[in-house]
Amino acid sequence: MKNVTFLILIVLLLVSCEKEINGNAATLKAPITKTSKTILEQLKNPSKDYVLVVSHRGDWRYAPENSLQAVKRCIDLGVDIMELDVRLTKDGHLVAIHDETVDRTTNGLGKVSDFTLTEIKKLRLMNACGIPGSIQQIPTLEEVMILAKDKIMINLDKTEGKTVREAYEILKKTGTVNQAIFKGNDTYQVMYEKYGNLMDSIIYMPKLWYKDENIATYIQTFEKTINPFAYEILFDSEEAETYKIIPEIQNQKDTFLAIALWDELCAGHTDEQALLEGADAAWGWLIKNGANAIMTDRPKELIEYLKGKGLRN
Amino acid sequence: MKFYIIFLLFIISFFSCKESVKEKSKNLNTEASKLVSSIQIKIENLKDSKSKEIIVVAHRGDWRSAPENSLQAIQNSIDLDVDMVEIDIRETKDGHLVLMHDDTINRTTTGKGYLKEWTLDSLKTIRLIDGLGVATQHKIPTLQEALELAKGKILINLDKSYQIFDKCFEVIKRTGTEDQVIIKGVKRLAEVEKEFGQYLDKVHFMPIIILPNPDAKEIVDEYLASKTPPVAFEFVLKGDAVKEIMQEFKNIRAAGSSIWVNSLWPHFNEGHDDEKAVLDPNIYQWYIDNSIDMIQTDRPKLLLDFLRSKGYHK
Repeated sequence: MKNVTFLILIVLLLVSCEKEINGNAATLKAPITKTSKTILEQLKNPSKDYVLVVSHRGDWRYAPENSLQAVKRCIDLGVDIMELDVRLTKDGHLVAIHDETVDRTTNGLGKVSDFTLTEIKKLRLMNACGIPGSIQQIPTLEEVMILAKDKIMINLDKTEGKTVREAYEILKKTGTVNQAIFKGNDTYQVMYEKYGNLMDSIIYMPKLWYKDENIATYIQTFEKTINPFAYEILFDSEEAETYKIIPEIQNQKDTFLAIALWDELCAGHTDEQALLEGADAAWGWLIKNGANAIMTDRPKELIEYLKGKGLRN
Repeated sequence: MKFYIIFLLFIISFFSCKESVKEKSKNLNTEASKLVSSIQIKIENLKDSKSKEIIVVAHRGDWRSAPENSLQAIQNSIDLDVDMVEIDIRETKDGHLVLMHDDTINRTTTGKGYLKEWTLDSLKTIRLIDGLGVATQHKIPTLQEALELAKGKILINLDKSYQIFDKCFEVIKRTGTEDQVIIKGVKRLAEVEKEFGQYLDKVHFMPIIILPNPDAKEIVDEYLASKTPPVAFEFVLKGDAVKEIMQEFKNIRAAGSSIWVNSLWPHFNEGHDDEKAVLDPNIYQWYIDNSIDMIQTDRPKLLLDFLRSKGYHK
């Protein structure tokens, strides 16, 4: 009897110690070096213990949106994919800017398409407080891809139906075709008519809008043709067809990118909710519902949350 | 013998557990005492111009993580353990004081038009927007709400407050935050005494001196010789002829007033601005080398980290 008690005590002691040791071992284990290649691999084969972090326009709270400083910030934070908006200048250069005009984000005024590259480079970006204190310029897509090369992936917005070809030329030139994810709202037929076989050479991530009526056909056509490995899924409520179709995307073993920016894109499970009501109610809910990539305006906080949940291994 | 070993094991495991429990409660206790005393330390430090501690002022609140001039921005600054938050005060159509930087509400809210044409009730129906122009859940706060939140937690600097000095003072008095608030203005002593002299011994007033100004030294001396020398002077170091007044900073500190300089934009500080500090935080050493002990910043976390690493902030 005494022996048994003794044994139990030893076991108890060992168990209590083991927890500690495991904790230490986890922090000591050398992290696998993340590159754009490992990120792409994750995107193609989503695993249960990793959620990709997609940072909206860079980390615009820290650096001006769509700036080189924002790209660098994403790399430093350990973000996987930075979302970037590109537009054409008057003389045909692709530059990173969200709005049709330079009014909101720079110290200039006017349409992007009325500026030459030389002219637009003279402007300075404003920070998110609307203050022209920044020394940053509007970067070209080429500058962004050179900075991002081998490090993170770039999710290109505002290209579809307009500038896929121009963007592809830059990617080829900088050797980053495998680092850019194009996105769009158009059906496969529309995209194919515009770009033909180019659709097979790029990484294309279709957007699933809750407003679309024939969402199932829309997906099927893509599956039969370019067979995308990731979809951006937008749903304003749990009643939306796009919400109900999530299991199908999961069955296909494709990545489901959720957009936690605004209420109508994720049935209210936003970054803002994460801060005000707790991350489990927002980001946790999206993950529980199958998201394996999340676009955020709070990359630092999201990464910390995911690390705490063991979802960044 | 076996009994003895078992007993020993028990004791060991008991102690190892107890130690960690004790550790935790110790942390909690220090947290609590820190909260209670931190505002007293901040107030004492504000009054002591000779202290080595640098006062960090967050511009419009910590506007990166919440809309500028929102209650959330003030709360975030408190959570970051920033010393002081700078907010902008304007008057509504029906005479209420609210937090708003621009004279219109176009840039920062979902509404449009001049603030002074809106009543408080209608302002409370609209939302503040974030840096991308998207509506948040936050609303325009009143000065009363801001001071109630800040009370006992963080110092406050009221910008755009001089014209409405008396109205601001009323709210400060009502909320019992006289020790925590600085009102500021660009006028010389004689004018300030004439207009609001009755308040000068009741609330902190900080003269702003915008350079180049040939009378800068004279203005400073007037204030230093007055009945209630100011807690600090704010200097806007524009132009080339700033060296002369900067040589006085050490003496002004010795005479009892702190020196406030903005690190916001390069033309306020001879090019030692926050954006350069992002690339190299040692840029902030310039403030220490020049006897500047209050810094208004757009990068409160970066500045705090730098100051702590150099022993200039607790």
